[in-house]
Amino acid sequence: MTTADRPSYRVIGTRAKRSEGPGKVTGTTVYTADVQLPRMLHAKMVLSPHPHARIAGIDQAPALAVPGVTRVVTAADLGEAIRDGSNPALSPSNRGDALIAHSEVVFAGQPVAVVLGESLAAAEEGAAALVVHYEPLPAVLDIEAAMQPDAPLARRPAGEVDRSEESAHVTIDVHAEEAGSRPTNISSHVSFNRGDIAAGFAESDVIYEHTWRSATMHQGYIEPQATVAEYQPASGELTVWTTTQGQFHERDTIMKMLKWPETKLRVIGPELGGGFGGKMAQTSPLVSALTVIAKRPVKLVYSRKDDLLAGRPATGALVKIKTGMKRDGSLMALEASVAYDAGAFPGAPAATGALLMSSFYRWPNLKVDGYEVLTNHVSAGAIRAPGVHNVMQAVEQNIDEMARQAGLDAAEVRLQNAVRTGDPMSSGKAFPAIGLVETIERVKAHPLWERRNEVKAGAPSTKRRGVGLAIGGWLGGLQPAAAELFLNSDGTVNGVTGALDISGTNTSFAQIVAEEMNLPLEKVSITTGDTRTAPFAGMSAGSKTLFTTGKALRDAAIDLRQQMFEVAAERLEANPDDLEVEGGEVRVKGVPTRNISYERLAAITTGFGALYKPLVGRGTVTARVQAPGFTAQIAEVEVDTETGFVEVKHYASVQDVGFAINPMSVEGQLEGGSVQGMGIGLWEEYIYDDSGHLRNAGLLDYRMPTAADVPDIDSTLVEVPSEDGPYGARGVGEPSITAGGAAIANAIADAIGARVPMMPATPERVLRAMGKLGGAEAAGG
Amino acid sequence: MAKMAYTLHVNGDDYEVYAEPNLTLLEVVRDELRLTGAKEGCGTGDCGACTMHLDGENVTSCLVLAAEAQGRDVLTIEGLAIDGKLHPLQQAFIDHGALQCGFCIPGMILSGVALLERNPHPTRDEIRQGIAGNLCRCTGYTKIVDAIEAVAVGVAH
Repeated sequence: MTTADRPSYRVIGTRAKRSEGPGKVTGTTVYTADVQLPRMLHAKMVLSPHPHARIAGIDQAPALAVPGVTRVVTAADLGEAIRDGSNPALSPSNRGDALIAHSEVVFAGQPVAVVLGESLAAAEEGAAALVVHYEPLPAVLDIEAAMQPDAPLARRPAGEVDRSEESAHVTIDVHAEEAGSRPTNISSHVSFNRGDIAAGFAESDVIYEHTWRSATMHQGYIEPQATVAEYQPASGELTVWTTTQGQFHERDTIMKMLKWPETKLRVIGPELGGGFGGKMAQTSPLVSALTVIAKRPVKLVYSRKDDLLAGRPATGALVKIKTGMKRDGSLMALEASVAYDAGAFPGAPAATGALLMSSFYRWPNLKVDGYEVLTNHVSAGAIRAPGVHNVMQAVEQNIDEMARQAGLDAAEVRLQNAVRTGDPMSSGKAFPAIGLVETIERVKAHPLWERRNEVKAGAPSTKRRGVGLAIGGWLGGLQPAAAELFLNSDGTVNGVTGALDISGTNTSFAQIVAEEMNLPLEKVSITTGDTRTAPFAGMSAGSKTLFTTGKALRDAAIDLRQQMFEVAAERLEANPDDLEVEGGEVRVKGVPTRNISYERLAAITTGFGALYKPLVGRGTVTARVQAPGFTAQIAEVEVDTETGFVEVKHYASVQDVGFAINPMSVEGQLEGGSVQGMGIGLWEEYIYDDSGHLRNAGLLDYRMPTAADVPDIDSTLVEVPSEDGPYGARGVGEPSITAGGAAIANAIADAIGARVPMMPATPERVLRAMGKLGGAEAAGG
Repeated sequence: MAKMAYTLHVNGDDYEVYAEPNLTLLEVVRDELRLTGAKEGCGTGDCGACTMHLDGENVTSCLVLAAEAQGRDVLTIEGLAIDGKLHPLQQAFIDHGALQCGFCIPGMILSGVALLERNPHPTRDEIRQGIAGNLCRCTGYTKIVDAIEAVAVGVAH
């Protein structure tokens, strides 16, 4: 949309400051770990040191002998907390059921017991003293090895595969094929086919085939997982404060696990210290069970080591890909497979990855397979755009390499083949309104791209410079949502939703309401309620919070306004259709002197003996049309040819956001996601030794980008309106992480003239790609 | 472990503490004094979320024993605003959209304040070095650097 086409708004589209900012800069904002309750016990998990072993026995006596230790809880004990006496932890079909391991551990870091103590120190000392006897079993630790028909099984075959983790983030119209009857480590397989793949390659002038790997990495939220839960035996009330992206998801998970009535269950999501797909019912079911068992409040806060070992990191993957292109730049054929290392339980985005890797360009012929593979690594969960960075690394490097071999501008090749509105995805479903072309046009004209050949000249003698471009995207999540608005006595408006604000959404919600009510922003306040006080909202995940709950708030504001018109019409002896809101008043259009103030409307709908009903605006939505968001990013790097060290010198991030309700918040999403993409491209990796132990379970060795590691992000917002989002907005959180790894990889290849086959591109891998190191890469190194 | 009694001077106030001698400054300030602005993100001094000032110097309070802070000036994020008036850097973080989830922000702001006290006119690179001990996962740092730079420029006037 050009600026001229855009409707004029007063409050939306402005750089509103975050409403919760003062609390966050003064340290008064409350996060889960800040909650302290009287008589609260502290919990410490005991984690398995083995990737696969039988639990032969647990000797609790040494732990119970520690002063202050009150109880050791094992899997068998969890039945005490479950109302119908069942205990899914005894034969878990998914990670969620496996609160504590029973009889068998299937990854190093799996909890085998929890020690409760009067202090954290006591619980920690007790956990260290507990003796667990293990009998190690064969472990599968490599994706390819695990896929072999004769591979040892990562775990006993699960009766049913639970896909809730994947569906939490993305809405896809395809269903994974059922795994075969003979048990294997492949827990899910999905395929997409189009055209004649052999004919497509026969017509291609340039064919590039490669195998790409990407490491398991962590969401990296700075706030570790935590839950505080309080059970009151007399009333049966269970109250849970937890680090979560979705309170209702936590509530329902606890309800199902403990068979707990939701009339006696309150989940409170305090301010969240980052989630990125990782904060979804990881600790609340366990701590809920612990408080019921102990009949005292219980607090569990993961140490960073716990979070890295026992969290649910993002999948590593193996991609095999062959692509073909005509000399004129027309893409002809894509044949690829992606296999995700799910770890010991299902939860990998096989369908998402296969779909997205094959849907962003107009491939006339394609054959793509996605596999979810179980191994004895920690079971994976979602991340910002789960599975996408793994496949963009492959597709975008193949495109880049074919463009280079054909002597074409890599941006032009992308532009020529990019999907347009109405084009089919590889699943056959048509794309709704999208702005990939507009996004690529903007990067193609970006100074960093235009000067890509000039920057090489200025490099010092031992260094090489390169510029890389990559695209990425996300289809967008869908989930119903509701919101309520109330007219206050002073003429202001308060609102409540159940959506957790992790990216400034409450500020954007207030902007939407202020726009519709024609009020200044400071006269609107939106609060996140809990599961007993707020109407339903989906998870703040999958780039859908503003897209869904924001729309509910718009509808609620329109509803509130209409109710005000009904009352005002009677008072002003006018037709409701002839009224408008202006300056905190309802007025007859064209006759500003015939008006009634918001304060007066509040008074006559709330006062003693008032004639009119209270004014409560209500909005409930279920979005059915996704709003895919695309990104294109450019990295300029400098590679030290002696050390293999890569420095990112400049970075640009362009994204179609539909309509930016709050451009400052949206830029923040682009900047944060882009730097996470750099982390994926250069530093972040679960490093396992040959026996399946994580070697870098701490933030010194698990290297996330610091301010000194990265340049400024030059962000550009493209606004191609979505069909169904509020004011044309699209979800903006996810796309920004998807392209960084690939853009960096292409920049490195441009600099050194060789491809690094595994992300992250560590100095060792860069030197190896340059032929400067002999021998094979050490396991995981 | 036998508890010990001592006094901590935090944000200009004296607090009588009676606690185990092996507790860290972060634990005592958060759990005993109930000043929970400083956060624990790693417990190993790598993330900076627990940053406080000790006699004006930046420290990762998860690595300092509370008893070591006796007789010294401890500043936490709660002590930076005076009588409800935000420190210019706190205001700049709000104005520049330099905060998202907010978990790293108390430590990040205290590192920014320490930097500006050492070097009132840092370059953007110096700002990045100055806050390199504070991890932020949400912002990508660009707007944080903007906020610190804005205050640094303001100091020049």
